[in-house]
Amino acid sequence: MTGLRIPPEAGPDERATEFADAAGPQVQAGARPAGRFGAAGWLRWGWRQLTSMRTALILLFLLAVGSVPGSLLPQEGSNPEAVAQYYTAHPRLAPILARFSLFDVFGAPWFAAIYLLLFLSLVGCVLPRTVRMVGSARQPPPRAPRHLARLPLSVSYRTDQPPEQALASAARLLSGKRFRVRAEADWVAAEKGYLREAGNLLFHIALLAVLVSIGLGGLYGYKANRLLVAGTSFSNTVTALDVFRPGRLVTPGDLQPFSLTLDRFSASYVTSGTLMGQPSAFNAALTYTSAPGGPSRRYLLTVNHPLVVDGVRVFLIGHGYAPEFRVTDGAGHVAFDGPVPFIPVETSGFTSEGAIKVPDASPQQLGFAGVFLPTTVDVGGRLASAFPAPLKPSVSLVSYAGNLGMNSATPQSVYTLDTAGLHQLAVAPRPLTAGQSIQLPGRLGTLTYLGYRQWISLAITYDPGQFPALVSGIAVLGGLLLSFMVRRRRVFVRARAGAAGETIIEVGGLSRSDAAGGFEDEFSSLATEIRGLSSPPAPPASPGRPEEHRGDHEPPEGE
Amino acid sequence: MFRPPGSARRAAVGAALAAVVLSAAACGGGATAQQTAEGNGSSFVSGTYATTVFRQGARPVAPQVTGTTLTGTRFLLSADRGAVVVLNFWGSWCSPCREEAPALGALARHFSGAGVRFVGVDIRDDTASAEAFMRTFRIGYPSLNDPSDAIALDFSGTVPPAGIPTTLVIDRSGRIAARIVGTASYDGLEALITSVEPA
Repeated sequence: MTGLRIPPEAGPDERATEFADAAGPQVQAGARPAGRFGAAGWLRWGWRQLTSMRTALILLFLLAVGSVPGSLLPQEGSNPEAVAQYYTAHPRLAPILARFSLFDVFGAPWFAAIYLLLFLSLVGCVLPRTVRMVGSARQPPPRAPRHLARLPLSVSYRTDQPPEQALASAARLLSGKRFRVRAEADWVAAEKGYLREAGNLLFHIALLAVLVSIGLGGLYGYKANRLLVAGTSFSNTVTALDVFRPGRLVTPGDLQPFSLTLDRFSASYVTSGTLMGQPSAFNAALTYTSAPGGPSRRYLLTVNHPLVVDGVRVFLIGHGYAPEFRVTDGAGHVAFDGPVPFIPVETSGFTSEGAIKVPDASPQQLGFAGVFLPTTVDVGGRLASAFPAPLKPSVSLVSYAGNLGMNSATPQSVYTLDTAGLHQLAVAPRPLTAGQSIQLPGRLGTLTYLGYRQWISLAITYDPGQFPALVSGIAVLGGLLLSFMVRRRRVFVRARAGAAGETIIEVGGLSRSDAAGGFEDEFSSLATEIRGLSSPPAPPASPGRPEEHRGDHEPPEGE
Repeated sequence: MFRPPGSARRAAVGAALAAVVLSAAACGGGATAQQTAEGNGSSFVSGTYATTVFRQGARPVAPQVTGTTLTGTRFLLSADRGAVVVLNFWGSWCSPCREEAPALGALARHFSGAGVRFVGVDIRDDTASAEAFMRTFRIGYPSLNDPSDAIALDFSGTVPPAGIPTTLVIDRSGRIAARIVGTASYDGLEALITSVEPA
């Protein structure tokens, strides 16, 4: 640690006035013969390593590095669809990345390990430091060294003022400059810059507070995802959420009871140039109420401009198409009638895939695997989508009948069909445009493609630790600045009677060398002021640092 | 499936841990299960479903529930005061709901005329699919149409449905006596109803 250690009792030894490093006593303890290390010794050694500044810095660095994949790779918490896409795009790499929790970095065990170790390291460092700091803040400045000329900065001069008087006025001057002053019979010691240690401490405590705030968010916050088709609503309750990741202390009743309707969604794309097909704007027109029965409000949700309801932030994180279908079964009943969200599998043409499941069709369950093409083009006999906007939408389906496997508790994805219990039906593969139907063979029924709607996916986050984290983040910086800008410095004044009845006054000063410069100037002006308090009868007895003041050789009479 | 079994299993372990701390974790998965592989892991791993029974005197008052049934009839929960009400939150797309449906249909027939009313709350569903579901499982009792989970939200201040399916047993005086999160079994639910309403 870079802390200052002020020896409890300075004694006559001049070294006492040097700023000792806190590592001093640790080194001594560590120098014990290795053979004598018992379990307790190893524990103490481990604790010292953990709470050392170096370890804390390494952990802080690891924390920063560890969060990098969180922004480079799609994350389960914020964008599960993108994770699914990643799996399709990189089928070999994705499982390896998942093994290291790289799709859920902030929930990963290794991330928690870094976090907790850093926390422990900081606590272990801050607690003893606080005690030491309080101790040192209460302590008077140390004794003045015997030979002030040996200090980095010193000056000496003669005066005919009596020593006691010279010392008393020097003490008054230093005290007036907000130095902490200790005055004894033949010396005065003064110290300033305690704020440096306070800043240092503030930095550490605020860093701790940042971690606590993040932890607070982890306990009481939650994250959720919801896919919402245009024209439909949802309520912020557990059953309505697609993914719900509650903090450890969140219960379903804690969710803020807002409801939200997606009135309209529009996506704009660049229509020409090299950026053709790139999205230029996403606008989701919402109506929401913050509690049941409350007034309805409108909000235009765009990317990176979340809706904030009751402290909960709702982000627009994705969009897609939901073709609408009606399925009439073999018995003549409508067994399905609604939009089916399809998941985009590529972005340049927004080709999307999805599944229609009709588990209650009679006489057999029906399933359809579909591809939606927003702008359908024929590329050498193969259909593809040339543009993400719905300029010429069509949907192509593969039809199945049999057992969808939905009547047991084994859950399955709504976006894919489990074809294990299904057999494919002989239907000519023909892309459907709105209003077209396919007749299933064997009197199994009819499917009609009615058109499409759009959907958006929302990330819902509640993090009560966010504001405390911001405040403590600012405090971290404040503490750091304070500890960089304030210098801990000491000034000593000694006065003794010379052989000729005059008084010899020595002024010495020292400051930490690593701090920003400026003490030299401060010292020389201080020394000049101290000297100005008395009248020098003769040139300096022993030259210290050269002084640049020559105008005060005439003895001021008014003293 | 989006993900290989290995990672799903690992997600499952984490989710199971969360589920121990909080049943809600498992619940979110109820809805989740249909949406993402992540949910697959979180909802149905342990196989033990949370049943909460409230002692007489400690039963929270059920909220005011109003709505329209799938067939278009107005429904008012308080109109059923004086009967035990079994309120089942379900969706035709939800596998565990399909698993428990035969038991619920049979129990409704078993208790018919015994002062026990069964009411479904069909969430996140289209009417056509819901009606087809009721044909498949020969469900005779009505269901409220709740595509936006508004009724589930009404319960958030008392005993929120913490997943799909959730079954609430409401006593004669309109207080919530028990909650089952997850698949309800015939015997389990029958015992609950009987304990609320001694024959």
